[in-house]
Amino acid sequence: MRRGVGLAAFDRQEQSKRSFAELSSELSRSQVENLHSQLDQFRTALAHFATTHRESIKNDPSFRHEFQQMCSSIGVDPLAGPRKGGWWAELLGLGDWQYELGVQIVDVCVTTRERNGGLIEMSELVRLVSKLRGVGGGSITEDDVVRSIKTLQPLGAGYQVVEIDGCKMVRSVVKALDEDQTVILAVAREEGGRVVEDQLIQRKGWTRDRARAALENMLIRDGLCWLDTQDEWVGRAYWVPSAMNWEI
Amino acid sequence: MALTTHTTPSGFLLPSIHSAPPFFTEQPNPTTQSIATEQWIRLILTYARHRKLFILRVEDAEAAESDWAEILRNERINRKMTPGHLCNIMVAMADKNLAIYEPPKQKRSILVYWRLPEEWAEVLYEWVVDSGQLNTIMTFYEITDPLVESALTNIPVPLLRKAIGILGKTGRAQMIAIADGEGVRFLAKSK
Repeated sequence: MRRGVGLAAFDRQEQSKRSFAELSSELSRSQVENLHSQLDQFRTALAHFATTHRESIKNDPSFRHEFQQMCSSIGVDPLAGPRKGGWWAELLGLGDWQYELGVQIVDVCVTTRERNGGLIEMSELVRLVSKLRGVGGGSITEDDVVRSIKTLQPLGAGYQVVEIDGCKMVRSVVKALDEDQTVILAVAREEGGRVVEDQLIQRKGWTRDRARAALENMLIRDGLCWLDTQDEWVGRAYWVPSAMNWEI
Repeated sequence: MALTTHTTPSGFLLPSIHSAPPFFTEQPNPTTQSIATEQWIRLILTYARHRKLFILRVEDAEAAESDWAEILRNERINRKMTPGHLCNIMVAMADKNLAIYEPPKQKRSILVYWRLPEEWAEVLYEWVVDSGQLNTIMTFYEITDPLVESALTNIPVPLLRKAIGILGKTGRAQMIAIADGEGVRFLAKSK
């Protein structure tokens, strides 16, 4: 086939290009419209879901867990701040719920800090927060506490969930627990709170100097443990309040 | 080993911290120590109120048969308060106006304010009114050792004197010199 040469060919080419462009922009416009309507539908569905299940989300911990799992699997963060997806938190009122829980966690951590040196066992924290919320507050789970602690992060208060020997603990003091202290806390947990130098030497293979330095640091510098100079066996024992079994 | 509350033979409920061995040692960390001291002060005041004890001496830390033994020692965990530790707590109580040195000018014995002098003044006045003794002249002895036991029975004279002084300021009591020492007359509240 003979291709056209000369000026007329340029015109023809221009024209077909234009009509292709028109066609494509029309196509994409309809696609965008389609997407918009889909998004609207999705929003309505979510809003409907949110309003119908709002109460169950707030009050039923297992439902809330499932819901949050679902959200994370589709990449929606129900707690995202005003910058992204704020309407979502707004619809559910879940943002407020989570912040309120955060405030209660801070309350418990601060009031028990003098007793435990800023380190509290997760189960104890959940128990005390539940007590604070009273019967009407609905029950809460570890999962909720972990999420709330995440929402506290922008405040820079240093709240953190640490795992010591398979036991989750919440730390509310901005003090890095070094490795030795982590080991000591683990030993303390096995012994109902009591730690002595010899345990660390025999069980962990530490030198006496290392054991003494780590314990004395926890005692004097960090206030994370209490001293007992009337110990029957070694005379000088260290007690970690957060690892002791308090009845109340 | 769980740290539990415990009811003593005298019927006092000891807090769970009393069964924690380190509670009986002075803490080298100042923050920890101030927490411990506060717990001890609370314990001493509530126990004093329970047993109506007024005087606490450093020696009470050492005597097993002391009135304070139920709180100053814990036989179940074999711990006891040391005299030096107790002495520091007594100083802290005096600093916080929760006790005064009695006799004054020494630090080995305190008068415990399980009621503040202002509260004692009200208790005293209420008792005088209720027992119909307004306007009569009373001796201190009649107040500290009345025929019918009262809330004021055995109240130490220095504390009684303070309470009367407080009532005096509002015109509700008047000290009077009588034949064998001092007396006091209580007056009706002026309007």
